[in-house]
Amino acid sequence: MFLTRSEYDRGVNTFSPEGRLFQVEYAIEAIKLGSTTVGVKTPEGVVLGIEKRVQSPLLESSSIEKIMEIDLHLGCAMSGLTADARTMIDHARVTSQNHAFTFDERIKVESVTQAVCDLALRFGESVHDEDAMMSRPFGVALLIAGIDELGPQLFHTDPSGTFVRYEAKAIGSGSEAAQSELQDKWHSRMTLQEAQALTLRVLKQVMEEKLDQHNVQLAQVTPEKGFEILDEVRLKAIIDAM
Amino acid sequence: MDHFPTNWGRPRNELHDQYNTYPIHQRPSQPKDVFGEGVQRTQQPIVTGTSVLAIKFKDGIMMAADNLASYGSLARFKDIQRLHPVGTSTIIGASGDMSDFQYLQHTLDELMVDEFTNGDGHELGPAEVHEYLSRVMYGRRSKLNPLWNSLLVGGLQDGKPFLAYVDLLGTTYSASSIATGYGSYIAIPILRAAVDNKENTLTEEDARKLLHECMRVLYYRDARSLDKYQIGIVTSAGVSVSDAIKLETNWDFAEGIRGYGAQTQ
Amino acid sequence: MPDTAHEQPQQRQFYPYTENGGTILAIAGADFTVIAGDTRQSEGYSIQTRYAPKVFRLTERAVLAVNGFAADGNMFVKKVKQRLEWYRHAHAKEMPLRAIARLIQTMLYAQRFFPYYVNNILGGIEEDGSGAVYSFDPVGSYEREACRAAGAASSLVQPFLDNQIYFKNQTPAPGTPHPTYLPLPDVLAIVIDSFTSATERHIEVGDGLEMYVVLAKGRSIEELADVAGVQELTTRADGDRMFVIQRELKKD
Repeated sequence: MFLTRSEYDRGVNTFSPEGRLFQVEYAIEAIKLGSTTVGVKTPEGVVLGIEKRVQSPLLESSSIEKIMEIDLHLGCAMSGLTADARTMIDHARVTSQNHAFTFDERIKVESVTQAVCDLALRFGESVHDEDAMMSRPFGVALLIAGIDELGPQLFHTDPSGTFVRYEAKAIGSGSEAAQSELQDKWHSRMTLQEAQALTLRVLKQVMEEKLDQHNVQLAQVTPEKGFEILDEVRLKAIIDAM
Repeated sequence: MDHFPTNWGRPRNELHDQYNTYPIHQRPSQPKDVFGEGVQRTQQPIVTGTSVLAIKFKDGIMMAADNLASYGSLARFKDIQRLHPVGTSTIIGASGDMSDFQYLQHTLDELMVDEFTNGDGHELGPAEVHEYLSRVMYGRRSKLNPLWNSLLVGGLQDGKPFLAYVDLLGTTYSASSIATGYGSYIAIPILRAAVDNKENTLTEEDARKLLHECMRVLYYRDARSLDKYQIGIVTSAGVSVSDAIKLETNWDFAEGIRGYGAQTQ
Repeated sequence: MPDTAHEQPQQRQFYPYTENGGTILAIAGADFTVIAGDTRQSEGYSIQTRYAPKVFRLTERAVLAVNGFAADGNMFVKKVKQRLEWYRHAHAKEMPLRAIARLIQTMLYAQRFFPYYVNNILGGIEEDGSGAVYSFDPVGSYEREACRAAGAASSLVQPFLDNQIYFKNQTPAPGTPHPTYLPLPDVLAIVIDSFTSATERHIEVGDGLEMYVVLAKGRSIEELADVAGVQELTTRADGDRMFVIQRELKKD
């Protein structure tokens, strides 16, 4: 390990001779340790789903917060070092509010995604007097879901600051299996209900525990109600209907 | 955290606007000079130049300004040049505070040298010089520290005559005949009658005579003027500022005036 | 030079504003908007120039008229245009009219304690295809209206518009209510009459008239076909269309 990786994985601002930034790549690896997170886009809206790893029977599963609201029309699910996501979501919220204040309109999903990604590479050593915000890259990936004038959209961001739009995307530990399942089952005319079911089914496949309303969470963004996290009652109904 | 990307990578100042109370585009940068309160700003012009006249004619533009710089009502300096060539296709004329004008001359000369040393083949024409001066003048008025001048900028822009005005407030406009100061009251009616709709036929000789006549009228009426002036011309042949021209005047009529001043009968 | 500084040098303080005269006006129709302004710029009793535009095309569907202190007005338009370009780069679309309206408010209010000494009228087509006029005070208070006059002769023109556009002090014939929106030819006639009248009675108004007409996408342009001095400014084939009509006003 030491010999093969040489010294180039030490500094966050040093390229290796092969042109790689190892710390950023390691950060992307960190996401694969995170719990599985799924997003599915349909013409009726976008569904986000996460697995809550309930590591102890004494843990209150309702206190695990991996889906968050950015604005009325924007939601976000995460995987990886979830604490890092707070900085990003905080920035996304301020950016969104500032846009609404200045332009009297809802910010586009892509714009808020771009704003979050602008943060991603603001790590490193600060030069004299300069305000660098972080010493290391973010260790978290986000699925940003929202609806704007271009319709429902789902974006994936990673620690390198890259963002890509997806029809359906899975991140986290079970992402490989989950993604191939999504590729099999996703189709462009899905209803929102089908998307909810698909999200849960994909999560169920990659989860070790038996899936119930306590160890998963669903959220959705729809044109009618905007962003909402489904409560356990609604979640249970969907699980029962599966 | 600072949520405004425009501030990222800037020198930090935690004492300042911690809560992002300013809109994103309009943020105060650095704390101001601690001695700022004690600094006097220009509140009035001191040594001043009077009117500048300028017109378009068929081959370019022509400008005229006398050689006087007054100190209040004192005719203090009688050999001051108020026309200044900038580059090879622009001339500026200044009325108002002469020290502010000389500062602008230096600024513009420096600007032209900087542009020349870029060596990119671009040269600033009158439109660019006017735009630049407008930014400087408006910027200074916005700091409540104006450059106390009314300036005319004339020249050839892409082969066409260009003539525009900018003053201490940053007000700008362009027209085929413009005058500053008393010239705007006394010379403009004469100039407009002669120039409007004749910009393309008026010859250099016509223009020269016209300005000469206006300078004479101004010398009769404007107590801060001088009977010695210069003409600046920009044509495709380039920029030139004439030697001083003497105005011939006849004050015999004054003998016949009765009814004001020190006369008693 | 009419310089009072010499008379009382101690008293004088630099005053960073002036008024440059002129008047602007905008009227919204159901699917069009007319935004107009005269082209005279003056200071005191002097006409500085007979052609200094006060009405500016911002986007394919938005036009801004600015009146008051000309230097502030020009700078403000410059900054608005700059913000519109930034927005296009950041969000990959043209800024909608109501977003421009809100932006103008924040830009004006940001200068609350050293205001742009200008009255703004924004006109154009909304996202829903309706004609719209937004009017602003110098520090950013704004509202959407059917019509508004501002500037030197606003006190002459606005009452006329109240009567002709809002039908104030008019009683409709029984069974025929006042129309909500006027047709384009009527609006153009009202605009032209407003300016010829203002030119008669106000010394700071005259020289030239520039009327911008924005037509919602798909609307017929027939009514503009035989209008004198009309010029099309549209650059995109499948969107709203924009025209400018230039007329002479009395120069005395």
